[in-house]
Amino acid sequence: MEIRIQGVSKRYFSEGKAIIALDDVDLTIPANQIFTLLGPSGCGKTTLLRCIVGLETPDSGEIRIGGEVVWSREKNIAIPPEKRGLGMVFQTYAIWPHMNVFDNVAYPLQVRKLPADVIRRKVGKTLRFVRLEGFEKRPATKLSGGQQQRVALARALVGEPKVILFDEPLSNLDAKLREETRKELRTFLGELKITAVYVTHDRVEALALSDTIAVMREGRIIEVGAPRKIYFDADHRFVADFIGRANLVKAKVRGHDDGHTIVDCGLGAIACHGRDLPAGSEVTLCIRPEFIRIAKGEGGAGRNVVNGRVESLVFVGETYEGEIRIGNELLLAKIDPDVDLKAGDPVRFSLDPAHCLLLAI
Amino acid sequence: MDPSRSKLTYSLILIVGVLTVGPVVMLVLGSFSEGLTAFGQFTLDKYVEAYTDPALLDVIVNTTVFVLGSSLLSTILALFLAYLNNRTDIPFKFLFKILSIVPMMIPHLLFSVSWALLLNPSNGMINLVLKNVLWLESAPFNVYSLWGMILVEGLLDLPIAYLIIAPAMASFDVALEESSRVFGAGTWRTLVRVTLPVLRPAILAAFILGVVRSLASFAVPSVIGMPGRVYVLATHLYQMIATGFATDYGKAAAVGMSVLAASVTLIFVYRALTAESEKYVTISSRGYRPTVIELKAARIPLFFVVAILSFIMAVLPVAVLFYTSFVPYSMVPSARAFSMMSLKHWSAVLTDPLSLLSLKNSLFLGVAGATLGVALSIFVAYVIVKVKTRAAGILESLSFLSFSFPGIVIGVGFMWFFVQTPLYATLWALLIGYIATYLPYGIRPLASAFVQVHSHLEESSQVCGASALTTMRRIIVPLLVPGIVSAWILMATMFVRELTLSVVLSRPGTEVLAIQILRFADDGLWGKLSALGIIMIGISTSLVLIATLVGAQFKAEQSAG
Amino acid sequence: MKTLLIAFVISFTAATVHAADQDLLKRARSEGKASFYANITAVEPIMKAFSSDTGVKGEYTRISTTKFVATAITEFEAGKFMADVVQGPLPVLELLKDKGILAAYRSPAAKGYPEWTRKDDRIQLFGIEYIAVIYNKEHVKGADVPKRYEDLADPKWRDKIVMPNPSNHATTIGWLVGLRDHVFKSEAEWRKFLAGLAANRPMFVASLGPTPAPIESGEKPIGISMPKYIVTKAPAPLDWARISQPMLGTPRAIGVALKAPHPNAARLFVDYWLSKKSMEMLAKDVGEYVLAPGVYPPIDGISKAKVISIRELPDAEIQKWGAEFKKIFAVK
Repeated sequence: MEIRIQGVSKRYFSEGKAIIALDDVDLTIPANQIFTLLGPSGCGKTTLLRCIVGLETPDSGEIRIGGEVVWSREKNIAIPPEKRGLGMVFQTYAIWPHMNVFDNVAYPLQVRKLPADVIRRKVGKTLRFVRLEGFEKRPATKLSGGQQQRVALARALVGEPKVILFDEPLSNLDAKLREETRKELRTFLGELKITAVYVTHDRVEALALSDTIAVMREGRIIEVGAPRKIYFDADHRFVADFIGRANLVKAKVRGHDDGHTIVDCGLGAIACHGRDLPAGSEVTLCIRPEFIRIAKGEGGAGRNVVNGRVESLVFVGETYEGEIRIGNELLLAKIDPDVDLKAGDPVRFSLDPAHCLLLAI
Repeated sequence: MDPSRSKLTYSLILIVGVLTVGPVVMLVLGSFSEGLTAFGQFTLDKYVEAYTDPALLDVIVNTTVFVLGSSLLSTILALFLAYLNNRTDIPFKFLFKILSIVPMMIPHLLFSVSWALLLNPSNGMINLVLKNVLWLESAPFNVYSLWGMILVEGLLDLPIAYLIIAPAMASFDVALEESSRVFGAGTWRTLVRVTLPVLRPAILAAFILGVVRSLASFAVPSVIGMPGRVYVLATHLYQMIATGFATDYGKAAAVGMSVLAASVTLIFVYRALTAESEKYVTISSRGYRPTVIELKAARIPLFFVVAILSFIMAVLPVAVLFYTSFVPYSMVPSARAFSMMSLKHWSAVLTDPLSLLSLKNSLFLGVAGATLGVALSIFVAYVIVKVKTRAAGILESLSFLSFSFPGIVIGVGFMWFFVQTPLYATLWALLIGYIATYLPYGIRPLASAFVQVHSHLEESSQVCGASALTTMRRIIVPLLVPGIVSAWILMATMFVRELTLSVVLSRPGTEVLAIQILRFADDGLWGKLSALGIIMIGISTSLVLIATLVGAQFKAEQSAG
Repeated sequence: MKTLLIAFVISFTAATVHAADQDLLKRARSEGKASFYANITAVEPIMKAFSSDTGVKGEYTRISTTKFVATAITEFEAGKFMADVVQGPLPVLELLKDKGILAAYRSPAAKGYPEWTRKDDRIQLFGIEYIAVIYNKEHVKGADVPKRYEDLADPKWRDKIVMPNPSNHATTIGWLVGLRDHVFKSEAEWRKFLAGLAANRPMFVASLGPTPAPIESGEKPIGISMPKYIVTKAPAPLDWARISQPMLGTPRAIGVALKAPHPNAARLFVDYWLSKKSMEMLAKDVGEYVLAPGVYPPIDGISKAKVISIRELPDAEIQKWGAEFKKIFAVK
């Protein structure tokens, strides 16, 4: 089910100052996708999610879920959250501490006054789906974090909602559990034909889970695209920087050649992914560390050959993170652990123009 | 704010507004009217006369010391007791229940008189004992002083403070304390730097309620202040209006307006100080069983402190009442006094049809009033805590309106109000008046309980498709059980001993216990008064026990189910 | 005549009764009840006797003196004055009369009362709320008992006296002013007495009600209080000082409400109230000083005492004196 958001704005007042949480947001969330709202804290992503679910009221604009207007200032429509038929997983899970697992999950069905045997069947099925069968009688307070998360998911799913919303559901889990749960979530959601809106500030989570990512900043949607597009070919410097580690180098367009855009920068003249920019314009060159390939010995042939010196090396497990000094610029690079280098060694490498992105400032 | 919430807020403003604004509007009218009723020629004379009184300055100084002193005493004591009870392994925890509840149930007049019997400088029992034991020339204590007033009022207001602070302490998230301990802070430092700040809303609520209550209190200023010639606002008001036969309540209302203004300001300050109550949210889905701090060597000495406090606050006054109800007249305990004891006063009270009727009425008002009052308070507290709009602020101020007016004046406001309605002279007028005036007793404990329920718990119910009412019934109310029990106890015990409104609104057929007790006091019949007072305490005790048991039962069902 | 009337009221079924009275009784009974607004102790036995003797239900609404006028006027103006009969200190009834709340009624039952008890055709006096020096027999020796009011100024009573607050308790203010009018020969002597009394640092309580308890318990062995407590608080060791000067008090008055919901029952009630039977109950059970001739409370020596009713002070004068006494008694 598609969600359309048009011209939605929302302001808060705090200590006498107005804070713009959402600034004229237009967004279409396609049906049956996992759609992620990604951004730093305070960017308005949670507010937008809460507007969709109905827990916050925007100041202006219109929100449609599957063609039905659920909120509109002009048409004076405001469907309360309980009538929107959505499912939601909260950051705190919001598992009711005074109920057991069964009652928590059965709740959405109970309030719809379904017959008891239907409720039992559906809850049983959903608990099996999230792999919590046998936990029905367990008090909610006696669950581990991962189990609580799955109860919250079961509760959101049990009513077979058209849309399910997630508000940073993994942020309270430890790193390993977060990774497992993320995969599980991906599996669960993959099996269901459901529109999922997912809010997170964690780029890895966003990249791993999403079909589409919308990056937000200061109440605005900056860019929307598939994870690969956002990662490899962001239009905005902010997005490129936020979605992954990036070396950002100031540059000036010199001209265009053979489908590449040539820029001058601290690394020399670099051929980049082609972009329609006039010569002389100031741009930012973005190179992700994983695309700076440094091999042992005399490497680097062809285009964009760069000479530098290893400034520092840090072992982080699967790789070394090295800082390479080239004149005044310092680039972060991933270096294979089997490469025999130490701080101070000269290095020579080439940059694939396809991975040299240009961003308009 | 979503529309259903704003609808709720406005309907509550309407309900609470009608309940509390009516009498206050009448008093405002009265304060600007010539003559002795709410309606008359416009005049400013009452304000001029009231505020040009040269004695006023002295009274304000005394009042400030009295009010702040007693509120501070009750809050600190409540904190101390709530902490010991909820967070430590102190023995005999049931004592705390008694300690916190019993003074609630003793009519303030009787409590004050008991203390006069114990600590008066001529033959107060404690003074006599100390004089004999320590070979003193004169009595060491004089209860008829500002300090005496602070002591007695502070002890009287302790239960309110305790019932507000204890539930907050009980549902405190220990992780906050534990993390402080981990960072190397000792128990004491953790208490001061973490526990108390986190409990700030409850502490402030207790303190402010104490301030408002002691401002309006009359029993202590009249029984203890007047003999010591220490005049505070309540006694000053009384003097001002009651000197003569044509008592001018309009003039009292004129002074009352400043008290009202002060109280409303305090409430705004309180709101500002606790505006970011989200910071203090502590119940979440994780378990909310606080861990217990081992007192080790301090266990027994601290227990003795509590035991002594229980003794002087609960045992002693009740013992004095029992004693007074058996002796034929006011006597210092002696062999002769004990030999003269009889059940005369008891049989007189138990065969008096008026006393029996008042017993029935008070019981009804206590149970029905507290139940309705708590039901209303749940909604009001919800809006005050969870809906942070200006309208919610208005609602909170409204709820304090009748409460913060000096007691001797607000009753007349209610009379002026009810006489315009068909409810005048019925039991319903009393019921409505009680709820309207003591709404904060229901709202405060519930609000501090609400603050601790994370809004996600409620929002997730909404998203699950539950209506606001279902969410209230299935999610919020069950999580609030400790707060609901506290609120119900506060209201029920208050209503059973309510005097200030009853004295104006009660009519033949609607007599209540406190009226009957006041009559005995007016006639100097302390024996009958004590007997009826004990019966009153008995009723309140039963109500408290029932409420506590029902609450515990509910909790048990939850953890079992 | 009076005895006849009383006999009628009590035994209303007697065939010999006057036709008009029979009529009143009949109408009163059809009205069903008489509502009595007052602030007086322990009159329930009289209410009960009234109900059983006349078949008209007597209903007592007790309203404290400080709220009496405000309540009556508020109800009256709202058209909800539910009293048929009002009783209170004379100044209260005067205020109600000034507001036009009292109806004219001269009760035949008051025929035997002294002339001065019939203030006018609306107010009838029936008792005096008499104030005296009360002491604890166990703590004060016979020789020490004051014989004149001046004796209270003796320094031996320092910190030993209890009295209602003279800066606001209207009855006490009236009493002190009454001493000036009726007892002391000169203003100077009266002021000397006040200064002496003040120097003894009496303990103030809010009204007369709380005065006997400290005397009984010995907290303060002597006080300015009421002899009626000797009756109501028996067997407490209380006695009254036989002071050679007259005893003073505020008159108690009764009247019928103007728009009484039960006008006939109201009259019947006033008649009954003023009857010797009721007055004897009031004197015997409550220790009241009543004005029905020959009826006295069962307190030793009272029948011989001279009891004077204090002149009515307007509220403005009470307040003026209250302020004055506040200064005089401001001794710490």
